[in-house]
Amino acid sequence: MNRAQLVIAFFFRLPPIVWALLLTVAFGALYNPQFRTVDNAMNVLEQSATLAFLALGQAFVIAGGLIDLSVGQLVGLVTVVACMGFEALPGWRLPVILGCLLLGAAVGMINGTLINHLRMPPLILTFGMLSVLQGCIFMLTDRSVGSSIPAIDFLAHGRIAGIPASLILVILATVIAFYCLQRSTFGWHLLAMGNNASASRKAGLNVRGLTLIAYSVSGFFAAIAGLVLAGRLGTGFPNAGSGLELDSIVAVVLGGTPLKGGRVNVVAVLAAVFFLGTVSNLLNLMQVPTFTQILIKGIIVIVAILLERPRWAAAPQ
Amino acid sequence: MALLETHDLTRRFPGVVALRAVNFTARAGEVHAVCGANGAGKSTLMNVLSGTIAPSSGSVLVNGEKVNFITPAEARSAGIAIVYQEFSSIPELTVADNIYLGQEFRKGFGVVDHKRASSEAHTLMERFRIDLDPDAVVGTLGVADRQLLELARALSNDAQVLILDEPTGVLSLSEQRNLFEVIRTLRDRGMLILYISHRLEEIFEIADTVSIMRDGELVATREKGSLDRKELVRLMTGHEVSDTEAIVDPLASGKTVLTIDGITSDDSRILIAEGEILGLAGLVGAGRTSIARRLAGLRPRTGLTVQLKGKPLPSDIAGVLKAGLVYLTEDRKQDGIFGPLSIPMNATAAALDHFSSAGFLARRRERSQAATLLEQLRLVASSLDMPITSLSGGNQQKVLFARALLAQPKVLICDEPTRGVDVAAREDIYRLLRDLSKRGVAIIMISSELDELIAMCHRIAIVRQGVVHSVVANEDLDEHKLVLAATGSDAA
Repeated sequence: MNRAQLVIAFFFRLPPIVWALLLTVAFGALYNPQFRTVDNAMNVLEQSATLAFLALGQAFVIAGGLIDLSVGQLVGLVTVVACMGFEALPGWRLPVILGCLLLGAAVGMINGTLINHLRMPPLILTFGMLSVLQGCIFMLTDRSVGSSIPAIDFLAHGRIAGIPASLILVILATVIAFYCLQRSTFGWHLLAMGNNASASRKAGLNVRGLTLIAYSVSGFFAAIAGLVLAGRLGTGFPNAGSGLELDSIVAVVLGGTPLKGGRVNVVAVLAAVFFLGTVSNLLNLMQVPTFTQILIKGIIVIVAILLERPRWAAAPQ
Repeated sequence: MALLETHDLTRRFPGVVALRAVNFTARAGEVHAVCGANGAGKSTLMNVLSGTIAPSSGSVLVNGEKVNFITPAEARSAGIAIVYQEFSSIPELTVADNIYLGQEFRKGFGVVDHKRASSEAHTLMERFRIDLDPDAVVGTLGVADRQLLELARALSNDAQVLILDEPTGVLSLSEQRNLFEVIRTLRDRGMLILYISHRLEEIFEIADTVSIMRDGELVATREKGSLDRKELVRLMTGHEVSDTEAIVDPLASGKTVLTIDGITSDDSRILIAEGEILGLAGLVGAGRTSIARRLAGLRPRTGLTVQLKGKPLPSDIAGVLKAGLVYLTEDRKQDGIFGPLSIPMNATAAALDHFSSAGFLARRRERSQAATLLEQLRLVASSLDMPITSLSGGNQQKVLFARALLAQPKVLICDEPTRGVDVAAREDIYRLLRDLSKRGVAIIMISSELDELIAMCHRIAIVRQGVVHSVVANEDLDEHKLVLAATGSDAA
């Protein structure tokens, strides 16, 4: 193959979501002058950070054939706990941050442990956890509370050489997730479990350990998302994370991950996050009403799931 | 010295003793068959040996040393590998990736080395002369190849002991021969192969030694030479059982029930008489099930014209059932049972009309009729209210037979009616089929077990590539001729 063919082959093998992202950007750049500014592009990337962390964490869980509905409320809880903590313990900023990350991982571990030992369906259990966390938030506060700190603000708004700090962190997280899920033995085992949990158990894989780690990672990433969101809002807000769990699942599925697990492409998941951010940004600039935007998002999800088919399904029986 | 021994191995489950002080011994370089009816404890014994289930008491010795497996991985590293009855491969992965799942090659930093897995798998296949492409995606493979994959996976661990649980359940004759070839190679290399099977003829073909289990106990261990078929059946069931050879009813009334046009290679018409048992013989994949499903209205009936008692048979499932043709599936788990539902509910599922008035179901009547029928079929169940999945394969099949009978069929198509069914329940099913035949029900029986077809059927139709090539009266047949006809080797 010569170089031109290689380039063409490369583009043809890109995941569909990358195409969708490129087309959306091209469309926006052609038709909307406000859209095609560097400033706007950086804004979209910056605003996508929260969802990016959530989706990367969710990718671990869904790749293993599981699901985590608790992450949205976990984000809300982290914004509240962090901002209350910063205000109450002014000299203890780092411990508060570390405590929040620990809180996220701990909630994930509880999810994983309960699923392992109570043999409950992940959908039901994490839905219950969603409610539990929501209850915790409203026991702490029913309105905006505390305030963020400069370091966290920098995480959300800061720029390093014109590039959003949050974007750098997102890319770092993506590289780590890529290595863990798509190169390491752990990821391989997780995907095997997503494909067929009972066969994986028989092959000697530690299915319970994998489940526990996947949920811990998801919780940990949700805590990072919560901190970034606290920086963007400048305060702890009880409803900050409502509905984000569904957005994260949508991003993972748009990234070509089957809901039953077994396959994942971390870069495509990130592209899906940016795609959702770009679409919403473009619709805002075009002054499309909010409810129409929600409707459009729904249609995108349905189309994405229609397009998702495993490669071998078409093979002769 | 024995390679594998157990001393007083016992395993209790709530309410049942699955293994009762079993003292089992097997040596290297033999094919050791373990047989017994369903529920005799074979599977529990194998599960203990492979580390899936822990024993309640007693011990397992490998090469004279006591071992204590907690997990399958530990048993594997001690050289014991198991190939399960149900495939445990992952369809989305390649053959090589499946073989090395859980024991991947790594490149450093824990990165999985798929290329190395592929090349190692190539070597493995060559070494054991297994004909299987390591780079094929498992989901695209047929059952025989998936079986070979399971075998290769076991071999990748340099296993000393290989446990095969009902390995030929879904294989055609030539595939089975291929498998036996591999098994013999392994035995000659000094491996111990524990072979679990219901099929007696297989046991006599492949085994060197036979251990028989019954009700959780090891009843006997014999050299194959000192055992005949009748004796084996007696040991397995605990009583004398009529031999399958001894039946065959004469062709009954001669009144035609079913007329089928368009399935023979020479465009002739097939007539099936009242009380006749017509066998469909052929290799796996020859299209026997497809013919049955087309008759039953489960698939479009392209090119096929069917008349039942002179009237055209409707083409939809409900119409077919109403006309009196019932199809009993070969795939119990997928198309047959309603897993979580009780036994009577499973039995009456196709005949709810008989038990309902004005749209309300008469549960008590449903239950009592089902119970009477199931008793006639000698169902063994601790309680009728248990979900059907709690029954053994043979008993599940009896419930499905009850379902078919409650629909009062004029024609019954049974597809592999004895697959996964133990010897005792088999006899019950044979008896039932003969009874039905005497009562004038026409039966079409599909089976891969030729001796069963020869023993049961009045005529046998040979199916090749989706069409019936010839219909032969039973008297003119033996197993050898049937094999030749099914493979097309008689054409010359």
